[in-house]
Amino acid sequence: MINFTINDQEVSGAEGWTILEVAREHGIDIPTLCHHGAVEPSGACRLCMVEVHDGRRSRVVASCLYPIQAGLKVATDSDRVKNVRRWVLQMLIDEYPGSARLRALAEAHGVKPSRFKSSNLEDCCIRCGLCVRACDEVAGVASLSFGNRGVNKEVTTSYREPSPECIGCGTCLYVCPTEAMEKFFNRVRAVA
Amino acid sequence: MKDDVSLGIFLCTCGTKIGGRINLAKVKEQLGREPGVRHCSIHSYLCQAPGLAALSEQVQTQGLNRVILGACSDRIMKKKFAAALKPLGLMAPQIDMINLKDHVAAVHEDRAPVLTRKAVALLAGSVGSLHSLEPYAPLLADFQGPALILGGGISGFAAARELAHKGMASLIFSSARQPEDVLQGLSRTYPGSRIYFKDLEAMLAEVFASPLVELAPDRPVEYVVGQVGDYRVGLQQDPHGVSEISGSAIVLALDREYAGEEGWSIGGAGRVINQLELEDRLSQKQVNPGSLVFWVNHREEGRLAQELSASAAWHTSQWLAREYPQVTSTVLYPADISLPVSGGDLVDAQRRGIRLHPYNPEIHPVVKSGYMTYVNSQDHLEHEVGWDTLVVSALPSRPGPKAQELMRVLPIFSHNGGSLKKGPMALKPDQRPVESLILTGSALKLCDLDEALSQGKNAAREVLHLRDKALQGSLASPLVVVTVDQDLCEGCGLCNEICTCGGVENVASGNGATPRHVSPFTCDGGGSCAAACPYEAMKLLNNSSQQLEARIRAILSKMQGNEILAFVCSWGGQGAAELAAVKGLSYSSRVYLIPVNCLGSIDPSILSMAFLNGAKGILLAGCPPDASCHYGYGVDHTWHRVFLMKRLLAMCGLDRQRLALGYVDVDQPEGFVRMAESFLDRLDKLGPVEPSAEQQKKLLAAHATMHRPRVRWVLGVSLRRPSEHDFPGDQYNVVDFDDSLQDVLREEFLAARILGALTAGALNPPAIAQALGEPTTAVTPVLNELLHDDRIVRQRWEGGYPLYAMARP
Repeated sequence: MINFTINDQEVSGAEGWTILEVAREHGIDIPTLCHHGAVEPSGACRLCMVEVHDGRRSRVVASCLYPIQAGLKVATDSDRVKNVRRWVLQMLIDEYPGSARLRALAEAHGVKPSRFKSSNLEDCCIRCGLCVRACDEVAGVASLSFGNRGVNKEVTTSYREPSPECIGCGTCLYVCPTEAMEKFFNRVRAVA
Repeated sequence: MKDDVSLGIFLCTCGTKIGGRINLAKVKEQLGREPGVRHCSIHSYLCQAPGLAALSEQVQTQGLNRVILGACSDRIMKKKFAAALKPLGLMAPQIDMINLKDHVAAVHEDRAPVLTRKAVALLAGSVGSLHSLEPYAPLLADFQGPALILGGGISGFAAARELAHKGMASLIFSSARQPEDVLQGLSRTYPGSRIYFKDLEAMLAEVFASPLVELAPDRPVEYVVGQVGDYRVGLQQDPHGVSEISGSAIVLALDREYAGEEGWSIGGAGRVINQLELEDRLSQKQVNPGSLVFWVNHREEGRLAQELSASAAWHTSQWLAREYPQVTSTVLYPADISLPVSGGDLVDAQRRGIRLHPYNPEIHPVVKSGYMTYVNSQDHLEHEVGWDTLVVSALPSRPGPKAQELMRVLPIFSHNGGSLKKGPMALKPDQRPVESLILTGSALKLCDLDEALSQGKNAAREVLHLRDKALQGSLASPLVVVTVDQDLCEGCGLCNEICTCGGVENVASGNGATPRHVSPFTCDGGGSCAAACPYEAMKLLNNSSQQLEARIRAILSKMQGNEILAFVCSWGGQGAAELAAVKGLSYSSRVYLIPVNCLGSIDPSILSMAFLNGAKGILLAGCPPDASCHYGYGVDHTWHRVFLMKRLLAMCGLDRQRLALGYVDVDQPEGFVRMAESFLDRLDKLGPVEPSAEQQKKLLAAHATMHRPRVRWVLGVSLRRPSEHDFPGDQYNVVDFDDSLQDVLREEFLAARILGALTAGALNPPAIAQALGEPTTAVTPVLNELLHDDRIVRQRWEGGYPLYAMARP
C-alpha cells in the first residue's frame, strides 16, 4: 500500500495506480476530456492537471498518467492548478468555438470566450486522440489514425478514404468528448 | 449446472452519474434476494484500477462464476472487464453488463424511485439470463495438410509460389500442366499482359517444378465442407464417383474473362477488331502492318474498366513497338481517366513512336473508314488520326462457369451479377469467424495482372499467418456460434439457404434431407438460422434463446402498467440509444432496453412468449436494412417474424400496433428518441390492455403456434436468401404467398386452441366449438387433422359424437 495525500486527505493505493484513479475512488473530482475507462490514458488534453509536491519541489502534472508515490502531496484545486485548467479551457473554447459541449464545460469552470477566436466554427476536434485509441483498443480495428503534424494534425483514415476496416460500431461516436465525431463519422464508415 | 451458479453483482456509481440518480443501496438490498446471488457490492469507478482490483478480489475470494456489472455500456467496456477477469477463469459470456448509466440514469427525467425500480428489473433480467447460460469454451484449430487452391486463376500460382518459399505445401486444381498452358489463357483474362510473359514464365516454371506444389486435375466441385485447418473438397470424377481431397485452407483464385462485342458493330470486318482479337493475332504472329489505333471506348463500363483497357493498350503498344517495327501504334484514351504511365514511359513512348492522345469524352469520337476524329480537351480542336487497324476495348464479362460452380457450394455471392464478394464481415475481431477462405483475382474487383499477383501473394501470407497462429495454439473459434442438435435436425436445409457466413453445412455429402452441422470456426454467430429452424434444432452457444427468454421473463415480472420492451440491435438501436444518453437527450423511462447482438437472432417464439407473459408493447430497433445490417439480412428476417406475430396478435384480439419494428443507425440518437416516443404515443392511444382468461388462453395458443414446425417452415420460405437482391416486399408472388401463410396460421392457431381446450379433459366437437366460440364446421376439419397426426385420440363415442382427448406423449 502506498500512502499519500490528496487535498490534505489521507489516501492510499497500490503500485501502478494513477493519481486520477485514486482521487476518483475517493470521490475527489478532477475534470477530464481525453480520459476514458475503456482505453489507456494518454495525457493529451491536459485538463486533469494537478499539483504534486514530493517534499523537495512542487510541479503541475497530468493526473491521468502520474503514478502514485508514497508521501506525495497532491492538490487538485490549488490556485496554480485552477490557473492551468482555466488556460487549457480558454484555449480550447477559443480554438473550437463551435463545440457546445466544450463551451458548457468552460462555463462550469467560469471561463468565458476571449476576443481572440478561431473563425472555424465547423472544427470541433480537439485532437485528443480518444477516438483513435478506442478504435484500436476497444473496436480492435484501428481504422482511425492521426494524419499530418503540428497545427495541421487531424484525425483521419488511411488515404483519407472511407475505411474498409471500419465496422461501424460507433465506439468513436460514444467516446468523443466533443461533437467532432458526429460530423466525421460518415466519412470514416464505408457504407456497403 | 444450475446448482453451480455463483453470482456476483457489482454496481458502479460512476462518480455521481449513476449513484446520484439511482438509489444503489436499495438496488443492492433487493437484488441480494434473487436466487444464486452470493455477492452484491457498490463501487465508485469499477473500470479504474482500484475498482478492477476490488472486482477481481471478490470474484476470487467468493469463487464467483457469473458476474453482473451494473455500470455502463457493454459495447465499450466489456472487453476491458473480460480481459481483467480472464486470468481468474471467467469467459466473456459469464460476464453480463447492464448499462445503468446510458439506459437508465442519464436518459430519464424521472426521480430516483422510478429509476431504482427499473434498474432492479434490468438487473433481475441479467440474473435470469446468467442462470440459463451454459458456458461454452471456444475450440482451438488444428492445422493439417496443404493449402487448396481452387478456381484456376493466375493469382493461385502466385500464392503457391509464396507458400512454397515459406515451406508450406499447396495443391492447385488446374488443367494446366506447363507454363504455356497458363499463359495461353491469360490473354482472355488479363489482355495486354504479353510483355510480362517472360517473367511470368519463369515464375510459373518455378511453381510447376516445386516439390511442394502438387497439381490436381480441375474437376467440378461437388461440395466443400470443414473449417480452417481441416477442409474437405469433394470432386466429381468420371463417371459418377466423388473423390475427396483434404487441406488446411482454401484460396479461391478466380479471374474474370473478357468478351468481345455482342450485337454492336461499327463494321469494318477484319480491320476493326477488339483487344481480344488482337491478342489472337499476336499469338499467331499475324499483325497487319501500318497504323494501329487503340480506341479506349465503352464509357458505360466505368472508369476502372476504361483505365484497365487503356493500360492494356499501352502495354500492347510497347510489345508491338518491340516485335513489329512495321506497326505504328496510337492510343486514344478519354481525358478523364488516369493513364498508368510514368515520365520515363512517356520518353520511351516518344522514342519508339507510340502516340498517346487523350480525347474529350464529352464529345464522342467519330469513326470513318481509315480515319477517326476526336476532340482534344486542351485546345478544343478536332483532330484526325488515320488507321489501318482499329482496336476497340474488350468487355469484362460476368463470373465464369467455374465461379458459378463454386458459388453453389461456398459462401460467395455475385453482386448484381458482377463482382464476387463474401458475406458481410463488419464485426469486431473477437466475433469474426476465422477467415480461411480467401478470395483473390479479378473476379472480385476488376484489376490488372500485377494487382492479381500481389493478391495471390497476400493470400499466401494470410494462410501462413493462420498456420503460425494454429501452431502457437491461439487460433480459436468465435465465442458465440451456432450449434445443431443432430437428434432434432430433420435435414430440411433452410439454415443452409439463409446462411451468409457459410458455417452451416451438410454432415455428409449429397443432397436431400441430410442433417446439417455448423463449423464453429466459420460461423459468425448472427443466429438468424437458429431463429428460423423449423424444428428448433439450432442454438446460439453462449447467447441462447433460453437466456433471452429467462431475461425477459424476469424483467416482465417486475414491469408495471404501460411499460414496454425495446429490443435493440447492438450495432444500430443500442448504439443510437446510448449516444442519446451521451448527448444529454431524454426519453420516457417506460422503455426497457433489451440489447441483442442482431435482431435476426430473436426467435419468433420470444415475441409470443413476451406477450403471453404480459408485455403491453414491444418495439424492435434495428439497423437500416440493406445499408448496414452486419449479418447480411438479419433485420429483413426480423421483419417477417414481426409481421407473423402481428397476425397472431390480431387473432388473439390484441391490436397489431402493439408490436413495431423501427430502423435507426448508430449515429442517429435523435431518431431513436423520436421512435421510442412515437411508439409510446401509439400505445397510449390504444389504451390499456384488459387482461382476461380468454385472451390469456389465446396468447398461449399463439405461443404454441410459433413453436409449430409447419408455421416456422412457411415463414422460412419468405426469408431473404443471401443471393437475393430485391427487398422482400417486392418478392415474386408475395400476395399469394401471404395468403397461404395466413391459412396455415389460422389452422395452426385453431389447432393450438383446441389442444388448449382439451387439456382440461375429453370433449366432443360441439363442446369444443362452444368453448372456443367458433362454429362446429370450422373445428371439425382441424380435429380430423389432429387425429390424423396422432396429436389427439378418439376415446369413444358418446351421444352420437366422438369424444376427443389429448394424445399421451
